[in-house]
Amino acid sequence: MTKSNTYTQTVGLVLSAAPGYSETFFRNKIRGLQANGIKVILFVDYPSNDSNDLNCNIVVAPKFDGFINQFLNSIIAILKAVFMTPKASLIHLKLDKADGLSFKQRIINLTRNQYFLNHDLDWLHFGYGMLASNRENVAQTIKAKMGVSFRGYDLYLSPLKHINCYMRLFSKTIQYHVLSHKMKEKLMTQHISEDDIKVITPAINTSTFSNSQRKEIPNDTLQILCVSRLHWVKGIHYLLEALAFLKRDNIDFKLTIIGDGEEKERLIFAAHQYQILDQVTFTGKLPQSQVIDYYKSSNLYVQYSIQEGFGNAVLEAQAMGLLCVVSDADGLQQNILHDKTGWIVPKRNPKALAEKIVEVHRLSSEKKHAITEAAVHRVNTDFSLEVQNKLFLEFYKG
Amino acid sequence: MNKTLKIAIYSGEIPSTTFIERLIKGLSEKNCQIILFGGLKKRTAYASKNILVKGYKRNKISKGIYLLYYTLLLTLFKHKDKKQLDNILKAQSKNDLYDKVKYYPVLWHKPDVFHIQWAKGVNEWLWVQSFGIKLVLSLRGAHINYSPIANQDLANTYKASFPKVDAFHAVSKAIAKEATKYGADINKIDVVYSGLDLDLFKNANDNLPENEVLQVISVGRPHWKKGYAYALDAFKLLLDQNFQFKYTIVGGVNLELQYQIEELGLKPYVNVINHVSFDEVQRLIKSSDLLLLPSTEEGIANVVLEAMANGKLVLTTNCGGMEETVIDGENGFVIPIRNTTEMASKIIKVSNLSNQEKQQIITNAREIIHKQHTNDLMVEGMLQLYQSI
Repeated sequence: MTKSNTYTQTVGLVLSAAPGYSETFFRNKIRGLQANGIKVILFVDYPSNDSNDLNCNIVVAPKFDGFINQFLNSIIAILKAVFMTPKASLIHLKLDKADGLSFKQRIINLTRNQYFLNHDLDWLHFGYGMLASNRENVAQTIKAKMGVSFRGYDLYLSPLKHINCYMRLFSKTIQYHVLSHKMKEKLMTQHISEDDIKVITPAINTSTFSNSQRKEIPNDTLQILCVSRLHWVKGIHYLLEALAFLKRDNIDFKLTIIGDGEEKERLIFAAHQYQILDQVTFTGKLPQSQVIDYYKSSNLYVQYSIQEGFGNAVLEAQAMGLLCVVSDADGLQQNILHDKTGWIVPKRNPKALAEKIVEVHRLSSEKKHAITEAAVHRVNTDFSLEVQNKLFLEFYKG
Repeated sequence: MNKTLKIAIYSGEIPSTTFIERLIKGLSEKNCQIILFGGLKKRTAYASKNILVKGYKRNKISKGIYLLYYTLLLTLFKHKDKKQLDNILKAQSKNDLYDKVKYYPVLWHKPDVFHIQWAKGVNEWLWVQSFGIKLVLSLRGAHINYSPIANQDLANTYKASFPKVDAFHAVSKAIAKEATKYGADINKIDVVYSGLDLDLFKNANDNLPENEVLQVISVGRPHWKKGYAYALDAFKLLLDQNFQFKYTIVGGVNLELQYQIEELGLKPYVNVINHVSFDEVQRLIKSSDLLLLPSTEEGIANVVLEAMANGKLVLTTNCGGMEETVIDGENGFVIPIRNTTEMASKIIKVSNLSNQEKQQIITNAREIIHKQHTNDLMVEGMLQLYQSI
């Protein structure tokens, strides 16, 4: 399609840091676009050492932290505005004025956003909702279409932290990308037209995560796995409470949690107080190859999140042939088809989770096999990188 | 022992927390000389001449002058001691200026007792024993109850240091027992309970508030250990049972709790108040029907003691040493930690008590506070501890 086009489309992708090796989502998106003849420019706040292989132009935003940076970069930005991008700068100021911003804020936005203004883009796409804050008028200034992705936290939690943070954003003409139908519904409650919101779920490399090498694990030990940042949104404290019920009922289990985060002390102490600490392993963050080993050697995957955009690890676990029990948080309801490719339990209900874990553990091998088969098939069909690439191409065609 | 005891109370900063400040004031009235070392958070002056403030302002210039002053004094008048300390510090690779600014003044003033308030710093102060200074450590809260469980290195530091400490002050029997896991000798631990200034509560009456719905209040910063997440889940259970309540959290909420309140539909029933004065907190407690402590970890929570002194019904989890003061059904109510269903049903139970039953519990609560948690008892207890070593 684009190959027959002589014109090369350029997409500017705004991220906070250039995606490292483990960030499949953006890397795949970038590669997919490039393979289809679209030029990608990355606009980032911080460069990353392991993004050199991406083969795209990476523009790093000037720093405005500290007095010296702020002073020098403001001067440079103003000089650029006057001598290099006078027309665009004027438009940017006018658009911000029309939004009712104060003179000071308009100047700040102009200096901060100056590094976008000399680029000729077809699309300016913000990788997270909050990245578009105070940049609401950049796309229109440079006559590009504007895209914004919401990934979970930025849609559900940032507005609690920063009241009305998307008020200006939601008034603009934007194509939105969200990870799940639930997120689409949430966005529509902000009076955004259904036609402007595209659901493109995350995808995984189905050849990296494949069930072909699964070990047979004896059915009597319950080896539970959870790959997750140690953050409260992941609801791990509820999972630990559920496992305390299993302990009480003398059901043998082991839980491995792969990931690191600010809540480590809280979770270890919770496991200690539930008297299950000797059955719980916190591995910290691990490289992908080791994570895959854990997928292979576990027989149940649990993601009992309080809030979840979609849950990539759940896709990986399914692809690896693991039985999955998840909460009904947002995108997880789409990630798993209840009773078909796994099980969904209402969130914040550790007792119900415990019951479901026991029920699943006691299922016949045939039933378990039928579920994992269906899950593997669905992930391979619907959540492959190829599918994701196709949908993003359509997104930018629209 | 007639000699005036010279006691250094060290919490790292001046002024310290309310209860440590109360101890300082109390001891100064007991023929003790108190010396305060560490960083000055703000200008601090004490009425008592028995309290010497030897802290430093926390900017580089002040620290530099302060260090120079003590280096000079030690070099001129206690050269041998200085050399000995320098050698000790060198052997521990703790020889930088930041360490010296902390240590030199202590060496110069040489108190009889150096009392550290927080366990995490214990290994930094073992050197004082080489100069005949007795080392006392307070066993408080998170430093004992969970930090060493989550941090093996810290547990090992404790195991190496605790057997060397001359005496421990434990805020509860429970925490004393916990500390023995890290090598603290039980015979060297004195339990001295937190004491209240009961004059602050002398006008408290026992009249029960006449609220239309049950008013429950919790006071404390929104740290996970305070267990607010469990309290909110419990209130959701009550909401689902059509139980009428109003829940006030004093001390603010974080994003987790904010999200939980929204998600569970609790917003109309939960009132969040950020920071208010001590008097205002007491007024809010007084106008509520029940003070709830949903914590997962505490020494013995002062807010519960204060509420009991203030003539208020309390409901607490059985965390830390709470049950050493609160006896379920007698002078308050106790539930297991991390148990939302028990919490919800106990709240209903409390709301169904007759006024007479409530009055009896309030009377009993005040009695235990007067028996176990007065300022005088705390100061006497600490004094005995210092004198025993």
